Amino acid sequence: MQRAALSKPLPAAFWLALAALSLSLAFYAKPLGEALSLEWLVDYPKLWIVPIQSQISAAMHWLIDEASFGLFTLREALRFLSGLMEVPMNLAIEGLATGLLSGTGSRAVEIFPPLSWIAVTVIFAATGHYAKGWALAFVQLACFLYLALFGQWHSAMLTLASIAVTLPFGVAVGLALGIACHTWSGFDRFMRPVLDLMQTVPVFAYLVPILFMFGFGPVSAMIATIIYALPPMIHNTTLALKAVPDELREFGTMVGCTPSQMMRKILLPSALSGLMVGVNQVIMSSLNMVIIASMIGAGGLGYDVLFSLRRLDIGAGMEAGLAIVVLAIALDRLSQALATRHPPARKTTSRAFPLNYPRSFLCVAVIAATWIGGNWIEALQTFPEGWQISTRQYWGELVKAINLNFYDQLEAVKLFFLATLLLPVKGFMLGLPWAWVIGLIALGGYKLGGWRLALLGTMLFGFILLTGQWDYAMISLYLCGVSVLLAILIGAPLGILAAEVKGFSRVMRVAVDTLQTLPTFVYLIPVVMLFNSGDFSALIAVTLYAVVPVIRYTAHGLDQVSPNLIEAGKMIGCSKWQILTKIKLPLAAPHMMLGLSQTIMFALSMLVITALVGTRDLGQQVYTALSQADPGLGLIAGLSVAFIAIVTDRFAAVAAKWLTAGG
Amino acid sequence: MNSSHNRRPAHWSVAGGSTALLAAMLGLASPASAESTDPIKLTLNDWTGQHISATIMGKVLESKGLSVEYVQADYIAQFAGLASGDLDVAMEIWDTTAKQLVADGVATGKIEDLGGTGMKAREEWWYPSYMKERCPGLPDWTALKSCAEAFSTPETAPKGRYVGGPVAWGGNDEERIAALGLDFEVVHPGTDSIIFAELESAYQRKAPIMIWGYEPHWLNAKYKGEFVEFPPYAPECYTDPAWGINPDATYDCGKPTGMIRKVAWSGVKEQWPTAYDAIKNFQISNAEMSEMVSRVDLKGEDLNTVVDGWIAANSAVWQKW
Amino acid sequence: MKPAVTKLACRNIWKVFGPGGDRFLRGAAKAPSRDAFTRAGLIVAAEDISLDVIAGQILVIMGLSGSGKSTLVRLMSRLIEPSSGELIFEGKDLRKASEKELIEIRRHKMGMVFQSFALLPHRTVLGNVAFPLEVQGVGKAVHEEKAQEIIRLVGLAGRENCYPRELSGGQQQRVGIARSLISDPHIWFLDEPFSALDPIIRREMQDEFLRLQSEFQKTIVFITHDFEEAIRLADRVAIMKDGRIVQIGTPEELVLAPADDYVRQFTKHVVRAKVVSVRAIMTAPGPDAAYAGSVKATDHIEDIADAVEKAALPFAVQDENGRIIGAVGRRNIVDVLIGREQS
Ligand SMILES: Nc1ncnc2c1ncn2[C@@H]1O[C@H](COP(=O)(O)OP(=O)(O)OP(=O)(O)O)[C@@H](O)[C@H]1O
Ligand SMILES: [Mg+2]
Repeated sequence: MQRAALSKPLPAAFWLALAALSLSLAFYAKPLGEALSLEWLVDYPKLWIVPIQSQISAAMHWLIDEASFGLFTLREALRFLSGLMEVPMNLAIEGLATGLLSGTGSRAVEIFPPLSWIAVTVIFAATGHYAKGWALAFVQLACFLYLALFGQWHSAMLTLASIAVTLPFGVAVGLALGIACHTWSGFDRFMRPVLDLMQTVPVFAYLVPILFMFGFGPVSAMIATIIYALPPMIHNTTLALKAVPDELREFGTMVGCTPSQMMRKILLPSALSGLMVGVNQVIMSSLNMVIIASMIGAGGLGYDVLFSLRRLDIGAGMEAGLAIVVLAIALDRLSQALATRHPPARKTTSRAFPLNYPRSFLCVAVIAATWIGGNWIEALQTFPEGWQISTRQYWGELVKAINLNFYDQLEAVKLFFLATLLLPVKGFMLGLPWAWVIGLIALGGYKLGGWRLALLGTMLFGFILLTGQWDYAMISLYLCGVSVLLAILIGAPLGILAAEVKGFSRVMRVAVDTLQTLPTFVYLIPVVMLFNSGDFSALIAVTLYAVVPVIRYTAHGLDQVSPNLIEAGKMIGCSKWQILTKIKLPLAAPHMMLGLSQTIMFALSMLVITALVGTRDLGQQVYTALSQADPGLGLIAGLSVAFIAIVTDRFAAVAAKWLTAGG
Repeated sequence: MNSSHNRRPAHWSVAGGSTALLAAMLGLASPASAESTDPIKLTLNDWTGQHISATIMGKVLESKGLSVEYVQADYIAQFAGLASGDLDVAMEIWDTTAKQLVADGVATGKIEDLGGTGMKAREEWWYPSYMKERCPGLPDWTALKSCAEAFSTPETAPKGRYVGGPVAWGGNDEERIAALGLDFEVVHPGTDSIIFAELESAYQRKAPIMIWGYEPHWLNAKYKGEFVEFPPYAPECYTDPAWGINPDATYDCGKPTGMIRKVAWSGVKEQWPTAYDAIKNFQISNAEMSEMVSRVDLKGEDLNTVVDGWIAANSAVWQKW
Repeated sequence: MKPAVTKLACRNIWKVFGPGGDRFLRGAAKAPSRDAFTRAGLIVAAEDISLDVIAGQILVIMGLSGSGKSTLVRLMSRLIEPSSGELIFEGKDLRKASEKELIEIRRHKMGMVFQSFALLPHRTVLGNVAFPLEVQGVGKAVHEEKAQEIIRLVGLAGRENCYPRELSGGQQQRVGIARSLISDPHIWFLDEPFSALDPIIRREMQDEFLRLQSEFQKTIVFITHDFEEAIRLADRVAIMKDGRIVQIGTPEELVLAPADDYVRQFTKHVVRAKVVSVRAIMTAPGPDAAYAGSVKATDHIEDIADAVEKAALPFAVQDENGRIIGAVGRRNIVDVLIGREQS
């Protein structure tokens, strides 16, 4: 069936006609519907909305309060689990930030100070040196000095502590699940939709149940972070394991590896670079969650961002936000280097102990020295306030200067975009009758991917319709669609530049990491100041975030093109431009298509942020549910976001296959 | 600038994992004798006024020999923690924004309403003073009937643009606009930071703006401006169309003032009876709070110093709590 | 001659790739035709293969790309499961071996060298070579010592701590060879081990290989698609086409009596003098002929051509016992060299 549908060539005229029909329907469906008294086909009647919201809420309450395994309830079991996880979490927090205390609350007495700022900096620099040499040591040094110098130390250490526990835990769980997916294809099939949900249902939609189950505090924050950060780790694990050359696998079999030896000694080590992509994503996602984590008891930099922006202190918010970025970069570069580190060819084991392990020796010495010295010289323990510098007022003034001098020009740009792009598309999306949209999904799904895709699309969008989220979903779709388009238009050339121009790639990498980890809130406030709240500000925020995977995958795709092919192109006498357009881009296309799916996911994950600037989309529904203690609505709206993501992702995948196969 | 929470030694649940673990295994909190020695967990939300309330309360409790722990928490998310007993006390819950959450929590018996803080939340349409020249007659609301356009932006013209509160806050502004025959369009940002970002931007340019303002807040200390005076609120106005100047519509009046209350986990009473009473008795006035908030937020004084000042000057007041 | 002992025997081995391939094969009463497979969307990679691998000999498998060579050795080592047929390894049915037994057999009795080397990128030369022993749980000291020894043997002494990416192609394959020899396998599979190497290094590696073989006397299955390589190394050659074995025999048999045009294509460009033995071209000895000298029946033409050509008289051909069994003269040699049918 699927094969048959795919092999039939689709006349372009068919799609064109469909598009034209949609366009006219979008504008005339309403009057037409009224004339024929078929309004119900255009606007889904409120009466038909299936009220499952309250049932879901009730089910959740039952799960949280009553679900029981006989001897103990689900909640007690989870509380026990979170008690276990609290142990390493508290250790990390005490070691890095608060110091070891005895007693609780205001009775607490410090019995052991936290690692001093000098010690932490030296440890990271030494690890950097161990992993890759002086350059990385310097990067680590610079990053941690930034934190100290800009007065972010204490909060940064709180954040670092939660990452320090979350990261290994997330990587371990992701690795285990990835291996399970690789080993049992049934499990893989089961996990795939689950992973999509984990990645796209906004955290706010299940925040409250998590708080009930795991308690209010860093552990819940860690769980929420892991739920969000796990899917990329699992995806990358299965991908990397699949990419291990068959010959290596066969070699393992031939030397008589047991399945576990095969995994530990052959597959995992050879898949390392792929696994590290996953680790990188876990780091980035965890730092991306810092804000939300801070709302439920993790504290740290995220909280500083919120607190500063609540006071409209743009500079302070920016400094705290940049501290998150700095932390992300430090951790990412370090983990990459550690994973790809090649031990020097020969070890000399003849020297005396401290000389043999100079870095470890240095670290221990510095820890001891600052600990002892800290009793007399405070500066050794905590970075003195007097030495701190700050740029905060400049940020505010910068925005003010732009606001005063360029507001009119910016406004003109905004109005142009609104008039030519945003409002027409919005009108179009909201004007389309629901019945037509569902029909289109069914038809397009069938033509592109067979009846399975058609069924999936109609079922998921049917859910959105039946639960009364249709209009919100259409606005979400419109905002994300336009943003994805813009992100591609901006990101693809940047990605090409990053791959083609030497030196630019490093800059780009920092820029992309920044965009991914700088809390959106930090730049949302200036954006609102310059563009007011509304769709245009939302567009900017979503595009800035969704551009990340576009740039990353474009550059990565181009980098992967085999140098032989490029040489072949040169020998035929291709110009640089021809090599790019005729050889590199077509070959990088599959990779870039992978990026497209990530772009859609990224864009949809920003819906919760767009709601902040007043768009009436699913993100807003999620917020409303949160503040009205309505977990049912939250889950429905959250699932709707996820369903849009899943459907567009599947459609994009088959469409991409069509395009690459046809072109 | 204030960033006292950076310097204050953070009081995390530092009993070490073992106690927490034990408690979790037993599945219950330690039995309450007279007064538990466990720390009382006060939440710190993300605005200064709330920090001041919480810190005053914390210092008072400490002076009574109790152990206190501050936990940074989101305003909305903290309700889950209060209901489960992970958090104990939230010092500033505004009726205007969380009435439903309090009602729901109290209904389940997991959350207890410890009464008002003495502060009253006032919320109403607010505009900067320079708008008075462009719309003479303000603050009386009737002036808006003729000069909505003065509040317009190119996107909304000729209608005025009103930056309301998050949808979740309610506010009935669309109804109010219709009932009073105003020509305004409402924008609903998702959080109040965005409201003030809009104000800051417009204020810098002296551009037209009308926002959802509220007190106690640094709004009136930082900017020159005032609330619009609508027909005063009465409960019937919201329920009875006949009431008020528009005989056919409800909401033809201003907004009600709301209590700012203290909310606690329902187990607090049993576990810390002394603290329970003190929290219940906590009272402070709008004026006192506004003064402290502007000293911290606008003058950049250290929050702890400001609170210590209040504690020193008002010992007669809080000794009685 | 030593009696031929069969190390590994294939009996009617089939391999059908594609969904439901095994069922399709088993379901058929007699072997379905090729068309039937194709129509069912299946690929026959091995069709009814029967052959013996003789202990101590080198069996070379040849064929065009896609003819099923790799599939065949992977079937022999049970890296892929045959669709049907029997595999007898050292007298035991390999297909009945449990997973555990199979692991044991592979650990101690089989070795394999891969076309693209299959070196573990994260391990040094030493780590790679010692790997099979490590997997077996042999102590570190022992396996490192043994690995050192074998690394020396393949001429890589001094590079023990290099990573594969720091080695040339030839060096990498030496590591692959060393690694497959460390557990002293009874049977040694090599799947186009030298085809990724340039001609000079390849030649060098072939010499190396022969040297090692003279030392170890392994039973070897060696895949190549280069007939030159085959005749240099092989005791016997099996030629494959579309999953079938078209012909199996000594290189000489293939050159002199190709079973069909396919085989002839392979052998056409061979320098026949290198393959053909004197026995194959000798004429019956005259009753009392005069000889310029004598040659052995097993000598290749190449080795005797110069001497025979210089002499006016033919040479006597002796068997291994020194008996004269024939004669060989200039004309016989010219016939071979220009490919003329024997007259
Ligand atoms: N896993 C597989 N699934 C399906 N078909 C396969 C599989 N492995 C091999 N084949 C098919 O079996 C046939 C024989 O493949 P094989 O790799 O054995 O050829 P080969 O003789 O080793 O070729 P080469 O010289 O290129 O290595 C080919 O037609 C190939 O397409
Ligand atoms: Mg092959």
